[in-house]
Amino acid sequence: MNLRKPLILTVVASALVGSLVMNGFSATAASVPGVSSTEIVLGMQLPQTGGASPGYNKIDDAARAYFDYVNSKGGVNGRSIKLVAKDDTYKAGVTITTARELINNDKIFAFFGSVGTQTHLSVVKDINRRGIPDILVNSGYSGFYTDPKKYPNSFGGLGTYTVEAKILGKYLKEKYADKKIGILYQSDDFGRNALAGLTAAGLKFEAKKTAASFVSGTHGSIGLGTQIGQLKANGVEVVIIAAVSSATAVAYATAAALAYKPTKWAVMSVGADSTTFQTILGARGTPLATSAALLAGTISASHIPAAGDADDEFVKAFKKINTDFNKGPDKTWDFNVLHGMNIAYIATSALMGTGKDLTRAKLVSYMEKNGAKLSNAAFSPLGYSASTHEAFTGFWLGEYDASLLLKPLDGKRVVYTTDSGSGLVTVSNYQRPAIAADALPKVA
Amino acid sequence: MDSFLTAFFSGTSQGAIYALVSLGLVLVWRGAGVVNFAQMGQAMFTTYIASQLIQNDYSYWSAFVIALVSGAILGAIVDLGLMRPLTSRKNSQLLNSQSMRTTIPVIASLGILGVLKAVAGILWAGEERGFPSPIAANALTIGDTTLAITGFDLFVIGVVFVTLVLTTIFFTRTGMGLAMRASALNPEVTRLSGIRVGSVRTLSWAISGTASSLAGLLVTPKTNLSPNTLDLLLIVGFTAAVVGGLNSLAGSVLGGFIVGYVIAFVNVYSAPENVFLAILVFLLLALFIRPQGILGSKEVRRV
Amino acid sequence: MSKVKTHKVIGARSTRLAIIFFIFILLLSMQFDPYNQYQLANISTLLIAVLSITLLTGASGQISLGQGAIMAVGGYSSALLVTKLGLSMWIAFVLAIFVSALFGLFLGLAAARLSGPYLAGTTLVMALAIPSVAIRFESLFGGDIGFTVDYGYPPNWLTNLIGEISIEEWSLYVALPFAALSLFAVLNLSNTRSGRTWRAVRDNEVAAALAGINIARTKVIAFVCASALAGLAGAIYGFRGLVGPSVYSTDLSLLLLTAAVIGGLRSIGGAIFGTFVIVFLPDVIERITKALALPETISNYLPALLIGFLLLLTVIFNPRGSAGALEHIRHARHSHKH
Repeated sequence: MNLRKPLILTVVASALVGSLVMNGFSATAASVPGVSSTEIVLGMQLPQTGGASPGYNKIDDAARAYFDYVNSKGGVNGRSIKLVAKDDTYKAGVTITTARELINNDKIFAFFGSVGTQTHLSVVKDINRRGIPDILVNSGYSGFYTDPKKYPNSFGGLGTYTVEAKILGKYLKEKYADKKIGILYQSDDFGRNALAGLTAAGLKFEAKKTAASFVSGTHGSIGLGTQIGQLKANGVEVVIIAAVSSATAVAYATAAALAYKPTKWAVMSVGADSTTFQTILGARGTPLATSAALLAGTISASHIPAAGDADDEFVKAFKKINTDFNKGPDKTWDFNVLHGMNIAYIATSALMGTGKDLTRAKLVSYMEKNGAKLSNAAFSPLGYSASTHEAFTGFWLGEYDASLLLKPLDGKRVVYTTDSGSGLVTVSNYQRPAIAADALPKVA
Repeated sequence: MDSFLTAFFSGTSQGAIYALVSLGLVLVWRGAGVVNFAQMGQAMFTTYIASQLIQNDYSYWSAFVIALVSGAILGAIVDLGLMRPLTSRKNSQLLNSQSMRTTIPVIASLGILGVLKAVAGILWAGEERGFPSPIAANALTIGDTTLAITGFDLFVIGVVFVTLVLTTIFFTRTGMGLAMRASALNPEVTRLSGIRVGSVRTLSWAISGTASSLAGLLVTPKTNLSPNTLDLLLIVGFTAAVVGGLNSLAGSVLGGFIVGYVIAFVNVYSAPENVFLAILVFLLLALFIRPQGILGSKEVRRV
Repeated sequence: MSKVKTHKVIGARSTRLAIIFFIFILLLSMQFDPYNQYQLANISTLLIAVLSITLLTGASGQISLGQGAIMAVGGYSSALLVTKLGLSMWIAFVLAIFVSALFGLFLGLAAARLSGPYLAGTTLVMALAIPSVAIRFESLFGGDIGFTVDYGYPPNWLTNLIGEISIEEWSLYVALPFAALSLFAVLNLSNTRSGRTWRAVRDNEVAAALAGINIARTKVIAFVCASALAGLAGAIYGFRGLVGPSVYSTDLSLLLLTAAVIGGLRSIGGAIFGTFVIVFLPDVIERITKALALPETISNYLPALLIGFLLLLTVIFNPRGSAGALEHIRHARHSHKH
């Protein structure tokens, strides 16, 4: 076996590949990476393809639409905002590479709205050690936010799963005290955090009886027949679902097939995306009216208004911007689009507030000191402080009506607030400030 | 008792699907001596074709038939375009090696899988979608008790047995079928006896393509369709085929149901997190205790 | 090239080639911007894993679709040693080699009885099962959160010696020496008697057995060596940021196999070439799709599509990979031998 010649060829070939790959990255050594006199570059990592992409793959386009709107109005302190999104296919091994690409090639100023817990875990340490701001992370995993000494630059962009579960759990425990309450959850950080939150609220589940779990991702191949059968066999009357939306759809369809009709379904907001729900069941041949009837009556929670709440002033303003500025492949108005625009709105406020003299350290410091004051579409204040970087601290509970609009429970929106620790669930008296007529944040 | 029934019915209905996957694997193994790792990729692709047709207002059954036919065509293309040129390279130094003759087709089928997934992603995006079932999926009732099994599940079980009977008759009663068995066992001798080994092999790829397409059409009504969701079924189907016997049609169906029960009972009595480990352990046990499979015959096993 | 060689001479040749590789990558990195320096670190890391396939499949004829799972064994053992026992990363990497070799021993004992499609299927099942072990035994392996680990900071003596070192350069300096050592080890192995024994078993088991070779033992040894390499690669790969189930996916296993096949399953130079292709191809494609302004729906799937096609074209037209093409040209001049 003579190895020399292949090796020499390899040397030549790889040098060739190398010269192909690298072309003119002449670093125009700006004092602050990603900030020039005319532009601020933000980077986002999210699954644009693959099993985890549905729904989430609209967030970058929605956020970009809002930034483009801001740019059309003159930008932030004279600078326009550019959002570079990278597809990490929801695989942590890929995220590490796309993050390096954003940092080194796209020379981003900050990470913004990165989607996913496991994927973000693979880069969060690196991002923080480089001192890059990591704002509005789209993960409800509280581990990113509750210890700012560990990850000083990371700030949440979702309410944590624990907060939502504590609020949902408290309500269900009181309202359905005489009913048997069970749970279907995916056995990952999301499902487990939800379970912990519900348990903290005083609900009790029994494994293999009222608690059914599945390995996340397997609902699409193995199905949820045994899990739903188990809940039915144990006479569970109120079913809580902590799973992604496509699994929620499979769960409902399986229950219908098995003639299992719990008194109440309650779905954690991650899995309650009615668009995904109806799309999946629609392709299954379920008429829209039937799938709507299945989901109607389901309890869910939200930190922002329902996407279908046509009277809400934030919804009105964002919806118009979506129509005019969204250039994504699918710009159908829904929760993910509304949420994407809202975090872009918050990011814009923070950049405005940090001021003309923008640096990474200044943005982080501004987020920590003043972030809690930034108003947005949410009905609860942001939780940012020196002791925690959790975002939305409150949720309101609602019920889907026949047109799949999430309507506040009992006709009146009550916002509950709590923390990811052992804090009590209390009713919030926060009044959301109005959106300005030009839909731009006004920062003092 | 309720848990037991839940596991039993769930195992039966899932087992029928696994049996179909496993049957598809055995068909190609018997006909061409290849384990086709692209099989569920082909199933996924043809199910998408059916889904697309249904969205374009074709009736379910016409989409169903077109999907089965495209499954056969896809299978034949894989053989004619890839497997045949591969095995005909007798002068290749690499393929002269015993182990490489079985390894290279496996790698080739993985290439097919990658390409099919990427093309499906481009054509239909990666989003999960549902797929209709031909008959209403409503639970059966006996008196007042609702059973954890639906009319659709019974339909699937029926389809599995009809497929098993048809393929068995084909292999044991028709000249073509006998030729297929012979060609897989000993291509050289078969060729010398005047049988056109090539077309026999292509036919077995086509039949297997149809069977896997059928599996795709029948599993997705209970789960979701996406470029990746059927991957896991290949693993399960492979385990079923090994358990039942890679060269036995009836064995593959039996294996499918056995693995269906293993998964369902582990799910109910242990934990879903243990399912993959259980499959691995079960597969290893099967390989060591009865490597030729329950109904497989020893002499043709090429392990 | 004469078949009769003393080990000493072979050792010298392997040393020379490993040093050439080391210096070449180092020189290349000096021409590169930070991102591509990081990609070179990736190449160094993945090369070790691809070499494990070259060894296992190319030299001993056993196929594995589960190298990612063995990488996970290396990754988890090193992460546990660092986070639970507080060992240094370097010691953990070395111990990870032993843990994975031990794992490979058990795997090899099972695999020696299997071949071809049976082995492929079983290792694929393993690739799916091993990450779910992390979720099953959450208290030990951290569930799907895993362990956030990294290479840390470069030691002072190094920065004093060569000046400030970026994070990208440091990851290359961590991975590259291991890659060169692995290259050295594999070059040596394939040229010694055991390498020839492996090839004999690969090409014809019956003939090898008649020649007095212990088939099962040979196969197990190949598995142990390949697992040691894969485990090392897994440890370095995990310390890029996270040791967790989604890092060691089946996609990774299949990508590594693709690299080995494209380059040429039997060639070590081919393994290097194949690794360059799988690491840099997505970047090249991204440039092209950007230039052509292709829609997101196409560009996102294009790398997977092209890599799949490349794999197919390789097995159809040139099953021996890019290295095989070279051999072919050489055969015009030299007599056929193997």
